[in-house]
This record gives sequence, C-alpha cells and structure tokens, in this order.
Amino acid sequence: MTSSEYPVYEVFGQKDRLSFHTHVGSIRAPNPEMALQMAREAFFRREAVVDIWVVPQDAIYSAARDPAYLPAIGDDKKYRLPSGYDNAPHWKRFKAKAMTIEEVAEEMTAKRR
Amino acid sequence: MDDPIRTREFLERLERGDKIEATDWMPSEYRDLLIKQIHMHGISEIMGAYPEKEWVPKAPTIRRKLALNAKVQDEIGHGQMLLRLAEDLSRPYGRGREALMDDVIAGRVKFHNVFHMAAPTWADAGVIGFLVDGGAIITQAMLLDSSYAPYARMLKRIVAEESFHMQHGESVVLALAEGTEAQRSMLQEAINRWWEPMMFFFGPREMGRGSQRMMEYKIRTLTNEELRQKFINRYVPRVRALGLTLPDPKLKQDPATGLWEYTDPDWDWFNRMVRDNSGPMSQARIALRRFAHEEQRWVREAVRRASDELARLPGA
Ligand SMILES: [Fe+2]
Ligand SMILES: [Fe+2]
Repeated sequence: MTSSEYPVYEVFGQKDRLSFHTHVGSIRAPNPEMALQMAREAFFRREAVVDIWVVPQDAIYSAARDPAYLPAIGDDKKYRLPSGYDNAPHWKRFKAKAMTIEEVAEEMTAKRR
Repeated sequence: MDDPIRTREFLERLERGDKIEATDWMPSEYRDLLIKQIHMHGISEIMGAYPEKEWVPKAPTIRRKLALNAKVQDEIGHGQMLLRLAEDLSRPYGRGREALMDDVIAGRVKFHNVFHMAAPTWADAGVIGFLVDGGAIITQAMLLDSSYAPYARMLKRIVAEESFHMQHGESVVLALAEGTEAQRSMLQEAINRWWEPMMFFFGPREMGRGSQRMMEYKIRTLTNEELRQKFINRYVPRVRALGLTLPDPKLKQDPATGLWEYTDPDWDWFNRMVRDNSGPMSQARIALRRFAHEEQRWVREAVRRASDELARLPGA
C-alpha cells in the first residue's frame, strides 16, 4: 500500500552566483520536481535566488547526532586565526605598516579603468 | 567542434559578466583551460604543504609548531577543495580523484616552481609564508573575480584562510628580523634564496596562448606581468623596511610609471625544473606523494569494500 505521507526535503537557496547555498528550512513533497516548486513557493516568495536545492532529508548524515563528529570546542585556536597575530607594532618598529588580506583583495579585484 | 551558436551565446554571457556553473554548457576549450588551471592549482596546494611540513617537527616553540601544522592542514584542505572542482569539470572525460592524482606521479601535471625548492632553515619556513603565500594571495585574490563561479566561490573560502597564512608568515619573519645578528642573517639568506623563484612564480612576461585565452574567457583578469608588478610593489618596500636587501641590483621603480625594473629569473632553468620535475626537491616530494597515493591505495580500496559490504547487510 502506498502511503499518502510525502517525504521531507531540506531546502537550500543561493542568493547570487558567488554565494554558497544556504539552508532555509524543509518541506514535504511527493518527488524532487514538486519539492522544488513547493520550496520556491514556501521560501522564496520575496527573496530573489539564483538557485534552489532540495535534498531528501534521509540523505543527510548529521554530525550533531554524535558529538564525537563535531570539532573540539574550548581549545585555544587563536594561532589558526589572523587575529592571533599582532604584527602591526612590529612593523611599526621598522617604520612600515601591517598589511591585511582585505586590502590585497580590494586591489586585485578593483575594476580596471 | 563546439556549436558556433552556443559558443557565441556563451561569450555573450561572459561579456555581460555572467558567472558559469559546472552544469552549464561551456565550450570545450573553456572546460579544458579550467581543468588545466584548477588541477595545477590544487596539486600545487598539496605539493606546497611539503616544504613547510618538513619544519613542523623542528619548529622553535610549541605555538609555532601548532601554527605551522595548522597551515599545512589548510593547504592540504585547499588541495582537496580545488581537486573537487577539477573532478567535476573532468567528468565528461571520465577522470576522477585517482586519475588526477596519478598525473602528479606520472609527471603529467605541473606544480609551482617554488615547491620544487629546498627549505633548509627555519627562516625559509617563515619566508615561504611571507613571500610565497604573499604571491599566491595576489594571484588568488585576482581569481575571486573569475568567470567560473565554483572557482570564485571556493577562492573566497581559501583567501579567508590565507589571511592567517599571511599573518603567520609575517610574524615569523618579524621575530627573526627583531632577533640576533645570526637570526637576521639567516632571514637575509632565505630571502636571497626565494626572491628569484618568486620572480618566476608569476610566469613569463609574454603570456603563452593558454594564459591569453584564460584572460579572454575571464577565467583570470590580470596578466602575469601585472601580477608580478603588484607583488614587487608590495614586497620590496617591506623587505627593505626590515633593513634587509633583495638579491637584485636592477630593482628600480620608474617614478613616472610606477613600474619596477627587475632582473629576469633564469627562465630556462625554472621551466625545465617544472616540466621535468628536476628541481632540488622535486623527486623527494613526488616520492612522498607516491607513497601516500600508490602504496596506500589498498587502504582506500579496503575501506571502500567494507563500506559497500556494510551497506548490503539486512537492516542497514
Ligand atoms: Fe593555500
Ligand atoms: Fe597558504
């Protein structure tokens, strides 16, 4: 006997071409095509998106079901972060300025005139 | 031969500033250029982890060891992310991770000249973060604008992590620069070793046909020479501020154009090294990759088989 209960699809939307798909919620639908239509109507009535993904919920294997799969928290990870290094006073001692990646990115992607 | 109408429509998309997805139609030349570029980029991330990996056990403090280890992890991670993109593009050719990695061992894919070089002192580990990551960041920041959306998206993530590499490299270099005479001269020698390879890093003054086509397809947006000039312009003043010198008597900025004069690297020597894997450390590092890839293949196969068997069990 076929159940009339639809499977659950998790819904992801992509805001623009250079953004990652972001989870927004879930819907029930009888098949992936209808899941896309339902997702569009349920979540993207106002927001513009360039893409929608629907993923069968049981295809998702979540780390939260076992904390052993999660990254360790509470460790001091400052050595992994740019903010863990205070180079500016050292550069200053040499009469130079510290450099950030943001300013490099800005220079490299500045529109060419 | 690609359909000329679709090709024209594709070029119009690029002209409008549209971004291309893996599943979009694309001319085979565009696909092949992307595969070549991203495959080489991904493999360079992995081979680039080796010179620094050598310094993890010998780092001077526990904090430096943690940081360097974290950086090596990041680089291998970048390799993974980029290889995934190259794999998606290679799907029509039926080539996956195993094939793309086999190419390293068979010498069918090149990796950046800098990763063929030796890193004999702790200062080299610092200067790699300072100059090599510095140069790679300039190239990768340009690629944030790439017409191939999966590449541009992944680079956002990669560049964010590179920010730590940059600060870490500078921190090591600054500590040595503020150190004893012996530390300063170790740093100077490392800079002397890495400057010429960095001049080669950005490629020939006159770009080859492939690189030119990549500009036309907006896969990249700046020429080799533009990238090299931006690098020189940022790093010469920084090295000089530290009271150190650069091993190039020709280095001079034209006050009118802002462009730097520099001595050409030994193009033939470096080209041969990259093509034939004949650099000082090329074969030793490829041997490490061969060990990981070929001699551990049975482990990957065993895990794969065990997973398949488990999935077949009743109630799985
Ligand atoms: Fe990297
Ligand atoms: Fe890096």
